[in-house]
Amino acid sequence: MAKVAITVNGTEPKNVFPPFILGSSAVSLGDEVVIFFCPGGAPAMVKGVIEKMEGKGLPNLLALVEGVRALGGKIYVCELALGAKDLKKEDFRDGVEIIGATTFIDEIKDATITFSF
Amino acid sequence: MATKTLDTLGLKCPQPILKVATLAPQMQPGDILEVAADCESFPKDIKAWATRTGKTLLFCTDEGGGKYKAQIQF
Repeated sequence: MAKVAITVNGTEPKNVFPPFILGSSAVSLGDEVVIFFCPGGAPAMVKGVIEKMEGKGLPNLLALVEGVRALGGKIYVCELALGAKDLKKEDFRDGVEIIGATTFIDEIKDATITFSF
Repeated sequence: MATKTLDTLGLKCPQPILKVATLAPQMQPGDILEVAADCESFPKDIKAWATRTGKTLLFCTDEGGGKYKAQIQF
């Protein structure tokens, strides 16, 4: 079993689709998945944003996000996003946890696969 | 032993495999899941999934018109 760590630092479809396409593939195979949204990517995890995002020929993003969660994947937002993007904890979608960079780095110390988008 | 069917026609990669993985906990040992799919990567993806998760891919056939049918035994 692999442990996959993915960071996201943008809110365009090219930043947001790949972590969930790869992340949902990994959890489907039984791998552990940790996705960390840096402040630049954090607004994508605000309630209602994923629902509006679509891309030609791409899968349904909401289904992938829900699949990652249902199969035990973790979705984190960097706490620095709160000040950097004027967001509050309650602005983020359910199941998203706000954590610090140190906690993330500690959690992925045994990651075997990493990506950044 | 039960046979369940899963229709993923129209769903893009990796949604068909995600659906199989989500359904997997409901399956009992010996049960068969029959999956219909039309995403290009499905034959290789379902083989990889079965291998990694220790399930038996009984077959994955090309039904024509870009459609595939696979049976997995749990």
